[in-house]
Amino acid sequence: MPEPRILKYTDALREATDQVMEQDANVFVMGLGVSYSKGADGTTAGLKQKYPDRVFDVPVSENGFTGMAVGAAIQGLHPIVHHGRVEFALLAMDPILTQAAKWNYMFGGGNPVPIVFRINIGRQWGNGPQHTQALYSLFGNVPGLKVVIPSTPRMAKGLLVSAVRDNNPVVLLEPRWLFQITEIVPQEIYTIPLDKARVVRKGSDITIVSYGDGLIASLEAVDLLEKEGVHVELVDLVSINPIDWETVFTSVNRTGRLMCVDTTNEAFNVGSEIIAKVAQSPTIALKEKPISLATPNVPCPTSTVLTELYYPTSVSIANKVLTLFGKSSIERSLSFEELHLAPTVMIG
Amino acid sequence: MLLIRIAEEEIAALYLKNKIMSFVHFYVGQEAVAVGVSDNLHLEDRAMGNHRSHGHYLAKGGNLRAMICELLGKEKGSSHGKGGSMHMIDKAVNFTGSTPILGSIVPLAAGSAFEQKYHRRDSITAVYFGDGASEEGVVYEVLNLAALFGLPILFVIENNLYSVNSKLRDRRSADYSVEKIVSGLGVKYLKANGNDYEDVHAQAGTLIKSIRAGHGPSLLECITFRHMAHSAPIMDDAQGYREEDVLEKRLQEDPIKKVKTKLLSQGIKEEELAVLEKEIRAQVSSDIQFAISAPYPAKESLYTDLYA
Ligand SMILES: Cc1ncc(C[n+]2csc(CCOP(=O)(O)OP(=O)(O)O)c2C)c(N)n1
Ligand SMILES: [Mg+2]
Repeated sequence: MPEPRILKYTDALREATDQVMEQDANVFVMGLGVSYSKGADGTTAGLKQKYPDRVFDVPVSENGFTGMAVGAAIQGLHPIVHHGRVEFALLAMDPILTQAAKWNYMFGGGNPVPIVFRINIGRQWGNGPQHTQALYSLFGNVPGLKVVIPSTPRMAKGLLVSAVRDNNPVVLLEPRWLFQITEIVPQEIYTIPLDKARVVRKGSDITIVSYGDGLIASLEAVDLLEKEGVHVELVDLVSINPIDWETVFTSVNRTGRLMCVDTTNEAFNVGSEIIAKVAQSPTIALKEKPISLATPNVPCPTSTVLTELYYPTSVSIANKVLTLFGKSSIERSLSFEELHLAPTVMIG
Repeated sequence: MLLIRIAEEEIAALYLKNKIMSFVHFYVGQEAVAVGVSDNLHLEDRAMGNHRSHGHYLAKGGNLRAMICELLGKEKGSSHGKGGSMHMIDKAVNFTGSTPILGSIVPLAAGSAFEQKYHRRDSITAVYFGDGASEEGVVYEVLNLAALFGLPILFVIENNLYSVNSKLRDRRSADYSVEKIVSGLGVKYLKANGNDYEDVHAQAGTLIKSIRAGHGPSLLECITFRHMAHSAPIMDDAQGYREEDVLEKRLQEDPIKKVKTKLLSQGIKEEELAVLEKEIRAQVSSDIQFAISAPYPAKESLYTDLYA
């Protein structure tokens, strides 16, 4: 048995890309700076050297190169398009939301668009209102896309491999906040289903549903709550398009309580969708009204004294649950690093 | 120019001491562009910029203290800490905003010029963006719109040869011609040596005269060097991607050095310049000290300003 390997989130994405490129000559990578030695935050490092004709740096023309990649996918190539922030991808929303997502349907089937859009998303210190939007729900709202959010390095690798093997437009929303976290990741190529949520922790008192960086904060909250005698079942949605209702419903049915944690603005967020569907389910009898935590309905400011109030934290998540159970809150203030710098924790 | 240079140097030093939690892109080396253009602008003329706008802001007369407070996330910042380095604004001097989404400022600046024309104002708008941003589709659209509507706008492309570390030849065919594209869309074009204050000043002057005379939009392309890394407070030559603009060449073409040489040749004494530099550095240091001890915004301000 080889030693278990510990990989960073970004390195797991890099390895997945390398392995799918090795297997499938139709796969190519396109995006700003993907050919740099540490390209795309390291997720394309070294690939230009290994595949000189299949890794393309591009002009600053998101709408143009993304649309071109969609056109190439329609003709059978398998592009991986990279956008360094969701705001940059917003300049390419027509090819993603209106062209790729509709193509197969509007031509009555038989017209696949096999393409992966890798989009970095969400919080990062000092980046403020125009560089940290967490526009997850936007992609959940568009049928025809598959939308997955890897929450750990192992998930990142398996989901990217699955995304490239899929015959549809798949959006990988990669929370920048998670880039430094590590986990044991198998060396060999493997897949993880694009449409399955996963139960990360078993528990009987309440179900917390989250994804991405919200999931990592929730994971810490689960540990805090365990010490307070509350046993949480933590569900990682993995996919927000489509949502794996079976896993969510099964868990909520068992615990009878639901909390949703989002790092996106509170209006029209993913948690709202979960709560709405759970509320309408004829088979679920909740013991308490569902609760949720998200960022407030204002843009993310830049000043650290304001951003430290902005995001749900392990403590604010735990305290919301404790209140539900009529227990007193945990008094713990988080350090500057915990509040503002991307975590470097090892998962598992 | 010297103010911009010294402010950037001092901010870079502060950044290395880890006091700045706001993404910063330094303007060192490109000062001749903003100052050469701004010296042709009146107070009522407007300017807008991009992610690298400290220099654009200061050259228009933007308040240095408010800028540094903004970088440090303080209440007295020009955006009360909400924006940070990539969002410069000082409406008192008609620097009316900068944003880091590449190309997006260009249509907004055209809208400013549209308003100026609509209200028959005497003023114009200048907008700064990089060679990278100039590749966004919207820029071509707006050049056409500006020419169509005869807008009083000066587009300034700061061509520092890179978009992050991507060279022009990584992004453009060998036949790419900014001049042909721009003139083909009906916008007047001139090129300037962006490392040379006098050249920028002269070429911008010619174009701005034409805009003020009602001849519609113009574009000035300034070839210049970005001395520091794309977004870190360091020289990045160790990365090895630079070809033409190696450190030696950058120092040789340093716009501040050129102005200094010129001034000395005109009889200004070395000592006089030293005094000036000392005064400016003292002003910058005092503004930095002010900003460091200035209060942060109140926590409730997270929720304010969403709507006007
Ligand atoms: C729409 C968009 N795409 C990508 C980026 C990421 N980005 C930030 S600055 C930059 C380089 C811009 O180059 P240029 O416009 O020439 O300005 P410079 O940094 O050289 O001053 C890039 C690619 C962005 N901010 N916005
Ligand atoms: Mg540039």
